[in-house]
Amino acid sequence: MSRDTAGILVDHADARRAAEAVLDWPGADDVEVTVTSSRTGLTRFARSEIIQNTVRNEVRAYVRVVKGQQVATTVTTQLDSEHMERAAESALQAALQSRPDDDWPGLPNPDVVGIAEGCWRYDDATAAAAPQARSEQVIRLLAAAEADNVAGVFETSAHSFSVLSSAGMNCADAHTRCVTTCLVDTGDATGWGDDSSHRIDHVDAEGTARRALDKAKRGAGATDAPPGRYQVVLEPSAVATMLEYLSYCGMGAKQFGDGESFLVGQIGKQLAAPSVTLADDVWHEGSVGIGFDFEGVPKKRVSVIDRGIATGPVTDWRTSRKLNLELTGHYSGSTEFGPYAAHLVLEPGRESLDQLIAGVDNGLLVTRFHYVNVLDRPTTLLTGMTRDGTFRIRDGEVAGPVHNFRFAHSVIDALRSTSGVGRDLVAFAPDYGSFGCTVAPALRVEDFNFASTTSH
Amino acid sequence: MRQVLTTAIDAAADAGASYVDVRVVEGLSETLSTRGANVEGLDRSESLGYGVRVLRNGAWGYAASPRLDLEEVARIARVAVEVAEASSAAQTRPVELVDEPVHSGAWATPMERDPFSVSLEEKLGLLLESSESLERVRGVRVGRGTMDLHRQRIWFLTSEGTDLDQTIVNVGAGIEATAVDDEDVQQRSYPGSFRGHFEAGGYDIIERMDLAGHAEQTGEEAHALLQAPECPAGTTTLVLDGHQVMLQVHESVGHPTELDRVLGMEAAFAGTSFVGIPDLGSLRYGSEHVTIQSDATSPGGLGTYGYDDEGVEAQRVDLVREGILVGFQSSRETAARVGAARSNGTMRAEGWENFPLIRMPNINLLPGSGSLHDLIADVDEGVFMSTNKSWSIDDKRKNFQFGCEIGWEIKHGKLTRLVKNPRYTGITPVFWGSCDAVAGPEEWRMHGTPNCGKGQPGQTMRVGHGTAPARFRNVSVGVSQ
Repeated sequence: MSRDTAGILVDHADARRAAEAVLDWPGADDVEVTVTSSRTGLTRFARSEIIQNTVRNEVRAYVRVVKGQQVATTVTTQLDSEHMERAAESALQAALQSRPDDDWPGLPNPDVVGIAEGCWRYDDATAAAAPQARSEQVIRLLAAAEADNVAGVFETSAHSFSVLSSAGMNCADAHTRCVTTCLVDTGDATGWGDDSSHRIDHVDAEGTARRALDKAKRGAGATDAPPGRYQVVLEPSAVATMLEYLSYCGMGAKQFGDGESFLVGQIGKQLAAPSVTLADDVWHEGSVGIGFDFEGVPKKRVSVIDRGIATGPVTDWRTSRKLNLELTGHYSGSTEFGPYAAHLVLEPGRESLDQLIAGVDNGLLVTRFHYVNVLDRPTTLLTGMTRDGTFRIRDGEVAGPVHNFRFAHSVIDALRSTSGVGRDLVAFAPDYGSFGCTVAPALRVEDFNFASTTSH
Repeated sequence: MRQVLTTAIDAAADAGASYVDVRVVEGLSETLSTRGANVEGLDRSESLGYGVRVLRNGAWGYAASPRLDLEEVARIARVAVEVAEASSAAQTRPVELVDEPVHSGAWATPMERDPFSVSLEEKLGLLLESSESLERVRGVRVGRGTMDLHRQRIWFLTSEGTDLDQTIVNVGAGIEATAVDDEDVQQRSYPGSFRGHFEAGGYDIIERMDLAGHAEQTGEEAHALLQAPECPAGTTTLVLDGHQVMLQVHESVGHPTELDRVLGMEAAFAGTSFVGIPDLGSLRYGSEHVTIQSDATSPGGLGTYGYDDEGVEAQRVDLVREGILVGFQSSRETAARVGAARSNGTMRAEGWENFPLIRMPNINLLPGSGSLHDLIADVDEGVFMSTNKSWSIDDKRKNFQFGCEIGWEIKHGKLTRLVKNPRYTGITPVFWGSCDAVAGPEEWRMHGTPNCGKGQPGQTMRVGHGTAPARFRNVSVGVSQ
């Protein structure tokens, strides 16, 4: 349940000590305490110099109190008994003023839902990385980028997660993460590179810079291309963004039950090309996360699309009981939002990026997307921009850079017209917070709508 | 808190910092949500911690912790200095700060009724009445009510002597109906989307919204949207309600005029700006009807405060005056970099955990004249769109696309057919250049967006926008696949 985690801010023993102060809180029928901690060092650079540099220690205890069918949660950043007791009493008083929740299933019991194991993607060297070590990585990255307008981050972090409850839940996990990003702006064009892992020694800052520089050099002299429908090769970053929004469009059982999910009416049907298999799988070797959900329920690999066939949403304790679906361990921490798929893995295919490009007669190569948003959730219609490397493909070869496009296209339609899946998987850390990871290959899509263009 | 503040200042100075500021932040929030007759979420959050920001060798360092014992406070202050030393290894020119007078005192959000003194029973009762009413409307599958209450007390001390104590209170609430049939899902919300309407102040703001009184109409509009035709595509006259003008101002004026973006400091994440320093005073950003201010003193704004998070006094400055770019939002560092005499006080941080950034306070489009009715009456053919639903803009803040919840075609000066999925797209200076009317003060209202994201680590900020309905000519609408 607990392992050596040098450099962690709050270990499971600390979490248990904090929880034990309130697990038998007078007046409550049940109490659950979820303790999270993070120690994050983030060095941020722009214009080829460090501009911000932070070390943050964060602790949260989520105290959920149950009285009959009435439930409320209070969060505190202080783990001493005085604050924990105040949080428990605050939650109890709030629960007493609430209405009974007819769908409340009770706290999950490990005898019923299973005993959670942690993923323990934890690397001591990453957790221990000092500000000087991050600066040295940035200096090497800037040297490799060979430009005077380079921006990005080098980040190391260590996270712990414990769930304890009066229903017998008692589980812990911890992980580390190292992320670097690099934007090279040559004045004529920008290029992008990124890398992430749970191990600092697996993150190649200089290689990331060289990829960004290469993109920027190849992006020089971009020309206009008309908006319209194109064959497109989406590099892994663009695919990951698309998949993350697909999750938001309804991979959770609550949205499914409410009729708001793209999966409604599609289970068992051919939703995507047969080459597309998409799962939520925190256990995948490329992923980084915790092995259970915010209630301590063991997290299972869930196939959402299996060889193109829609196979089902992810669930939590509440929705699995209400909708009579298999329990998969994906509680997001919010009953309002429901279960969430945050560790997506798109299974790889057999083609290299060059082979994917070779299959395009007249199309585009997209490095990544920017500021994507949902236009229509049930149809998974998104809009957003391309940035940092958009190229024309003609007769199977990259034919030169073009200005950025705004796209307006459905993710499901893109997966339906997928004609090639890349063999190389890339893991992406989330832009916000520590929770989640997407592992994606490149894709070749036969029909993709670019609605307008811009002047850079 | 006094000991925490002084311990951090002393420890950082002893470790070699040339400048230190410390923020201790105590946050309290309540998040309530109901669905039909059920309470779906009832969460309270208390947060207490501090952040120490230092300059050493002309470079920034920042460290933050929730542990308030003085030994830990001193250690965290020394970590901040260590971080700054590491920063200085990759710094091409030292950070300089423009002068700011030393300030001392307290400031608090004015309010009539403290939202945290109102019983949960009363708050839940208000939401439940509304969400139950929504679900009684034919065709509405899900009726939701939400309420968000925030209070933040900030103690702030600098090595220059500024010594402040501020309490900021924000409230928000709303209702949302989701209508579903075999073909479509449509949502309609009141008074605004994404958890409602937000302002700075007390519970009386929520009481005045009359959520339950608007439930029936909100539900009926959601249901009607299921059967409505798609908004036709074409180039036409567009009238926006104040809520959508809020997002338009936010994305296409607020962000591009943040000086850190202009200087490239946000390039890798949120992007830069199509605006450059040489454009100041000459760039035509919009028509003569467009005057936009950054105003941290606006009553009721989510970005209203006494002092920003580096102790600069709240100010009101013009960003765009009668269509011409005349100002940027700045910090002490960025003001120095462009040769300005003073920061205009827009640095804010989310909680104690984060390094302050330039964040919009209240970016307000000043009112013109006339009513929304007047704006529509002067349109022969066009579309009126209400309530933001989606947004996207490129990394230089030029090419944008917005979607609204609901629209009506305008024929011969009158609203006619209801249309669904209304969207429009444009290029920022062209779009603002096409603005030929902004409604008057009687239609002007302070809006708020509580979820503006920026920075790395990502920070979410509450931002205000005073806006009125506005009219734009020759806009591309109805864009989709």
